[in-house]
Amino acid sequence: MSYRIPIGPYHIALDEPYKIEVECEGETVIGASLKVGYNFRGIEWLAERKNITRSIALMERVCGICSNVHSMTFCLALERIGAIEVPPRAQHIRVLMAELERLHSHLLWAGVAAELIGFQTLFMTCFNLRERVMDLLEAISGNRVNYSMNRIGGVNRDVQDPQAVREGVRAVRDGVATSLIPIFTTDRGVAGRCRGVGVLTREDALAYGAVGPVARASGIDQDLRRDAPYLVYDQLEFAVPVQPGGSVYDRIVVRALEILESCGIIEQVLDRLPEGPLHGGDVYTVPPGETVMRIEAPRGEVFYFVASDGTDTASRVKVRTPTFANIPTVVPMIRGSVLADIPLIQGSLDPCYSCTDR
Amino acid sequence: MNTQDLREHLGGTWTARPDGWWRPMELDRLRSAAAGLKTGGARFVALTVRPDGALMRLAWHWDLAGTLLSLEAGLTPGAEIPSLVDIWPGVDWAEREARDYYAVAFSGRNDTPPLMLREGDAPGVLLRGKDGQ
Repeated sequence: MSYRIPIGPYHIALDEPYKIEVECEGETVIGASLKVGYNFRGIEWLAERKNITRSIALMERVCGICSNVHSMTFCLALERIGAIEVPPRAQHIRVLMAELERLHSHLLWAGVAAELIGFQTLFMTCFNLRERVMDLLEAISGNRVNYSMNRIGGVNRDVQDPQAVREGVRAVRDGVATSLIPIFTTDRGVAGRCRGVGVLTREDALAYGAVGPVARASGIDQDLRRDAPYLVYDQLEFAVPVQPGGSVYDRIVVRALEILESCGIIEQVLDRLPEGPLHGGDVYTVPPGETVMRIEAPRGEVFYFVASDGTDTASRVKVRTPTFANIPTVVPMIRGSVLADIPLIQGSLDPCYSCTDR
Repeated sequence: MNTQDLREHLGGTWTARPDGWWRPMELDRLRSAAAGLKTGGARFVALTVRPDGALMRLAWHWDLAGTLLSLEAGLTPGAEIPSLVDIWPGVDWAEREARDYYAVAFSGRNDTPPLMLREGDAPGVLLRGKDGQ
């Protein structure tokens, strides 16, 4: 006999409001339905009523983890519509911020995963490393969450101490290479909780349109930084980690390897950081036009459609976040799993419900 | 299949833009085009809706190896759009969101439950005026 268990929208196993209703036979999950929208803030509606300068700050509040990604994508879209050139130094600083954000996002996720696994000391190790990244972000931008780095045509702040960034990134890479990766990949407790658990097949990942580390852990070799380069990514060397298994363990490995790649990207940016201005001056309007802008956020592809009618306010701003694409994959992931594994499997998506709902 | 082969396979007139390739789409051919994109190895990315005077402009976006392929259709008020859910499960949330935001109706679905709104809320929340009404 099957029975249904509602979890959420407010539940100890959830970090943010969200509802999953699980259908079980005994301890085995046979189906589920999802409900989102509890964090709906009408950001797209607001973006069509605030001028583009104010909307930069608005878009930065789509997500508390990858806030820089959203303001940067919005600015990149407006710059493409207006054919606005971004100075080389500003492009490099944008890449630097994007990769630091990826580091802190992946390390935060690794900590949450460790905690869900029940490995508290590993959780502390992850968050200790993440604090190094947060210190760097704060040193550059003055902020720990919403960095306010992006403006139309460039960035607001310079990197005052590149050497400190280099040393901080080196410490993070050493910590990840010598502590996190060996523990996550060799500890029997971690393996028992993660290997073969919450499998998303390549076919399901394609059918649901999964993105980012979730897709790459299911064998899909896609990364917009390489496939459709923006800023200066086409001038940088990095690998795109892909794992074939589709399990929680594969998602851990992909993100861990991406941390190392991001450290390498940051070092390349610091090596070649050109002199020059940070922006080309104030921009309050862009000509009429529309464009799609996509970039590779920590959780995967972010999609913006921005239209301008030539006034100081965008006529349409559409935001599709990576978690919006990834959350529906929870259903095939948990089918056949043990009920107690649901929090970890859901967590392995690195979901952000607030940016899903916007 | 590369993007050029896929565009030729789908037919029609494609326009190159800085963000990718766009093609106007007849609604009666939308489902066959979506199936062709699946066969060609593309990945569904997003559905965008934009009011344009009396029309509602919809664009379905796919990705193939980093290239954006967009199919665009203009919708008159009251018209229904064929759902793609049975071809692309990932389109489900995009269609439900389009219904929530712009009251767009899709045919061929068992139902279109709200995604961001609550049961019973009127669809078309982004069509509200500046005063929120």
